[in-house]
Amino acid sequence: MNNATMPSRDIYITSSTGEDCYPTWDEALDALAKLPSEDVKSVRLIPGETGSISRGSNYYFDTHLMGLSGNGTEQDPWPDLAAAAADLAQDGAAAKNVTIEIKRRVIFTATRREDWKRIQQYIVQFIFFLMVMALVIPVVAILGYLFYKAMPALSYSFVFENPRDRMTAGGIWAPLAGTFFLVLISLLIAAPIGVFAGIYLNEYAKNNWLNRLIGLAVVNLAGVPSIVHALFGLGAFVLFANFGESLIAASATLAIMTLPVIITSTREALAAVPMSFREACWNMGATKWQTIRTIVLPNSISGILTGVILQVARAAGETAPILFTGAAFYLKVADKGAGYWFPYGLNDKVMALSMHLYTLMTQVNNAPEEIVYGTAVVLIGLVLAVNSLSIGLRVYLRSRKKW
Amino acid sequence: MTPHVEFRNVTVQYGNHIALDDISLNILPKTIFGIIGPANSGKTTFLKCINRTIDFIDAAKVEGDVLVQGESVARKRNVYELRRRIGMVFPLPVGLPLSIYENVAYAPRRAGMNDPVELDALVERCLTQSVLWDEVKDRLHSLGTKLSGGQQQRLTLARALSHRPEILCLDEFSIAIDPVTTMKIEDVLLELKDQMTIILVTNLVQQAHRLTDQTAFINASKLIEYGDTEEMFSDPKNELTKRYVTGDFG
Repeated sequence: MNNATMPSRDIYITSSTGEDCYPTWDEALDALAKLPSEDVKSVRLIPGETGSISRGSNYYFDTHLMGLSGNGTEQDPWPDLAAAAADLAQDGAAAKNVTIEIKRRVIFTATRREDWKRIQQYIVQFIFFLMVMALVIPVVAILGYLFYKAMPALSYSFVFENPRDRMTAGGIWAPLAGTFFLVLISLLIAAPIGVFAGIYLNEYAKNNWLNRLIGLAVVNLAGVPSIVHALFGLGAFVLFANFGESLIAASATLAIMTLPVIITSTREALAAVPMSFREACWNMGATKWQTIRTIVLPNSISGILTGVILQVARAAGETAPILFTGAAFYLKVADKGAGYWFPYGLNDKVMALSMHLYTLMTQVNNAPEEIVYGTAVVLIGLVLAVNSLSIGLRVYLRSRKKW
Repeated sequence: MTPHVEFRNVTVQYGNHIALDDISLNILPKTIFGIIGPANSGKTTFLKCINRTIDFIDAAKVEGDVLVQGESVARKRNVYELRRRIGMVFPLPVGLPLSIYENVAYAPRRAGMNDPVELDALVERCLTQSVLWDEVKDRLHSLGTKLSGGQQQRLTLARALSHRPEILCLDEFSIAIDPVTTMKIEDVLLELKDQMTIILVTNLVQQAHRLTDQTAFINASKLIEYGDTEEMFSDPKNELTKRYVTGDFG
C-alpha cells in the first residue's frame, strides 16, 4: 500500500511486522480500526519533523481490561482499535506526516521444534514407565501366585514345626534354622574381611600394578558362577581343610561367594565421600586411620551396611554353593529344648530352605503342593525382609548424612 | 637470619608435566611471604611440598630438598609432627561433616587435647582470628557443612590455626570472602606475623603488595624473581614481573 502520492500528508502505521504508508489520516484510521485488537498493546503517535497533532502522543490500549470505554490514557485505555480510530478522527484531521506506532502484545507461542520437544519428553517418559512396569508386574505376579498356592499351608506351626513323615507333612523349622545359621556364620566370616579389604583397597592402596591386579581379581571373583564356588568349597574346606560336609564348610563357601560384592560395595561407599574431606584432615596432621575413623566411615557406613545386608539376602537364597559342602536332604532334629533352637553343630550337615525346596520338588514323590509353595513363600519372605531392612537402614543413615 | 622454609633446587613432576622447575628460595621467619603468578603455574604444588601432602598424589615425583628450620621434610620419619606445625588453607572451602565446634577442635582432639575448658578457649580464639566468631557463636553445634561458602572458607582458616602452626600457608584464602571481611582477616594476618611465618599464595597482586614482606613471582613452573615486596613492585628486575605486577600481562 505504499502509494506516496501526497508526501506532505503521509501517515505511517508501523508495527513489528513492518510499516505501511497511507496518504490521508482517514485512510490510516480505517486501516487501524480493521487491525485485530487482541494483538495490540499500545498505540503511539509520533509527529514527524513537520507534523502536528493536537493531542499528546502516547495512547494506551488494553483489550484484556473489562468494561472500559476509556480515552487512551494509561489509566484509562481504549477498549479496542475501533474506539481508538474514532477518537483520533475527531482531533487528528489536520494531522500530517505522523507515524502511528503499534506495539504488539508479546505472546508466548511455541515453535514446532518446541512442540516436538514436549511430545518427545512424554514419549520417553512413557517408555521408561513401561520398563518399570515390566519389572513390577512379574514381581507382583510371582508373589501373588506363590501366596495363593501357599495359603492353605501358611501358619505359625508351619514355620515353627519340623518336617515329618518323610517331609510330606509338618513345617519347615529345621531348614529355616539351617539357613539362619548358614547366613549368620558366612556373614561373620565375610563381613569383616570384606569391609576391611575394601577400606584397604580404597584408602591405602596406591595405584600400582599389584593393586590393579587385586581389584581385577575381586571383580572376576564376583563373576564366578556359584556352582564353581561350590566345587572350590568342596576342595578347599570339605576335603583339604578336612571340615567334612558341614555347617562350617558350607558357611565358608557362602562367605567366599559374597566377599567380592561386599568388597566392591564397600569401596564404592568409601569413594562417595569427597576427597576434599580427607585432604582437609591430612593437612591438619591427622593420620589416615584417624581420618577414616572420624570422617570417612561415619559418612559411608550406610552404603557399606547396605552392601553387606544385600549379600545376606543373596546367601540365604543360594543353593549351589551348599550343595556339596554341607546341605542335607533330610535330618531328624529335636522338637524341643536347646536342640530345637540350635539344631546343628559346626561340624554337622544342615538343612537349608533353598535346598529343602529343591528336595521337595525333585526327591519327594508325594509332597503336598502347599508345603512346597509355603517353603518358597517363607524363603522369598526372608529375602524381602532382609532387603527391606537394608532399605530402612539406608534411609535412616542417609537422613543423618551431614553434607 | 636462618630461613624458616628453604627450597633447594626443588623440581616436581606429575608424570610428564613439570609442575615446579628447579625452585630455590628462602622464606624468613615471622614474615609474610607472598607468591604470585598466573593459574596453573605451580603455586599450590609449592605449598604441598612444604607439608608433604604431595605424597598423596601418586604420580608426583619430587626432586631436591625442602627444609623447614634446616631439616629436610623428605627425611622426616613422622610426617604428622611436620603437618601439625604447618597450617594449610586451600582455596576450596571445606567444612568437615561435623559441627562448627568440632571442625575447629578436630586437630587438637587428634593431638590428644581433651580438656573442655581448654578446647572452648581454643575454639573461640581460632574463630575470632578468622573473623567468624560473631557469626557462629550462637550455633557452634550446628553443622559446619551448612555454612555459606565464605563462612566455610573462614572455618577452614580457623581449623588451620587450631593446631598452633609455626607456618601458615594460605592458598587464595579470600576467594569466597567479601572485601570487608577480607580486610579484617588481613589485619589479623598482620598481627599473627609476630607468632608465625605466613606464606600467602594470591591472585590479587594488590593483596600481595599490601601484606607481604617478600614476594616471589612464579610463572609456568619457574621462579622468575623473588625479593623484598617493595622492590618487586617498584623496581622489578625482570620484564615479565614488571608486566605482571602492573597488570599488563598476557
